[in-house]
Amino acid sequence: MSRGVLLVGHGSHHSPSSSTPVYNHARRLRERGKFDEVRTGFWREEPSLARALDGCEAADVTVVPVMVSAGYFTSEVIPREMRLTGRVSRVDGKCVRYAAPFGAHPSLAKVIVQRALEAGAEGTEALAVLGHGTPRNPDSERNVYEQTRYVAALGRFPEVTTVFLEQEPNMKDVFALVQAERVVMVPLFVADGWHVGETIPEELALDGDELRQGGRRLRYARAVGTHPAVAGVIEEMVAEAQTW
Amino acid sequence: VVSPGEAIARRQPFTIGQLEVTPDGEGWLVRGPASGDSPPECVSADPDALREWVRFDDSGRYRPLPGALNMRSAWECRCRSAGELNAALEAVYPLGVVHTAQAEAGTLRVVPLDDVLARQTGRYRVSAGFSAEGRALAARVICECCARVPLWNGAASRPGGIACPEACSVLVSFCREAAAWEKDPPAPAAPDRAVGFADFETPGN
Repeated sequence: MSRGVLLVGHGSHHSPSSSTPVYNHARRLRERGKFDEVRTGFWREEPSLARALDGCEAADVTVVPVMVSAGYFTSEVIPREMRLTGRVSRVDGKCVRYAAPFGAHPSLAKVIVQRALEAGAEGTEALAVLGHGTPRNPDSERNVYEQTRYVAALGRFPEVTTVFLEQEPNMKDVFALVQAERVVMVPLFVADGWHVGETIPEELALDGDELRQGGRRLRYARAVGTHPAVAGVIEEMVAEAQTW
Repeated sequence: VVSPGEAIARRQPFTIGQLEVTPDGEGWLVRGPASGDSPPECVSADPDALREWVRFDDSGRYRPLPGALNMRSAWECRCRSAGELNAALEAVYPLGVVHTAQAEAGTLRVVPLDDVLARQTGRYRVSAGFSAEGRALAARVICECCARVPLWNGAASRPGGIACPEACSVLVSFCREAAAWEKDPPAPAAPDRAVGFADFETPGN
């Protein structure tokens, strides 16, 4: 049976870079050649979520949300628009498997560590996993805390903590949350977009990718979601979905 | 008039949206809209590169709606095979060839605008209360700017037209905003080309 992957993202009517990570992961998956077909779909761009399956020729398609958090989009919008009835659905004669957002997968923890090391961390610092968070939706924090737990379990950093952009514990309090003098902060975001590239550096008053404060130092990494290794995480997710 | 899929199989020239496609040796030549006497720029047929190329109009504005009739002009790309051509067309008009072929075959699932608006939730739920008159006007405003033919609105297919089976997210966003305008009309504003294509909350759109 032919196997396909459909990466779904939010997309945007205003920001052309919003969908870039989805396209990049799709390209990497095609290059790796494990699937007969790799396609994309978006909430705010085309092909739309509602019609993305129209283009799939594979008989067995795994839908993977290129999103960090489970919540309104993954539980309501995507299933409704794509006519999914559960984890495995029959849509227009195709078997459609619906995976969790990639932010839920334990293997993403290795990518978080990789981002920290790429930012210059040596493994002696505290690692802070930075999530968006929102007081409006308690589900949005769950995967951020889970990833913190997975990263801690890898044992590469002596201290691992969670901070958020829009809820407590706030990223600006990171030095108070850890013992280590040096901290590496890794944004658990899909894209190096407006938040990762602009609002967070501004709010943290970073000087380049760094902040020094009373003998302590913070290094700021790039977004986890743009890392090429995310394609490997998605492959694992699809392999797991195939066992359902 | 043959569909793009048939024309590719028969190696015949065809039009799809704003593209002119002609056989070119063993491959195909795809031309974007002409621009006076400007010679066309040669663009890569790589789907990712081509998608990026057509994501912006001549003035550099982002085009969130691939079917919008404001495609960048004066360019062409050469595809070495039918497979490369199909990938290029998919990059420029996602699902355009697929939907047009399904419409020709009578297998296209067409969803009316009323159904699309009725299923919206969250901040788009308000669009379900949009008046019938408003829906018709909104559809006309958006669809007149698009190369896709809204079969969901009863439109008849036309040469070069791309079958559209369901209202796009741009139209749904427009309906959401316009539903609010019905209750609280905004102050009139002169059209401003600097405002984003789907930036409906900004006066001058």
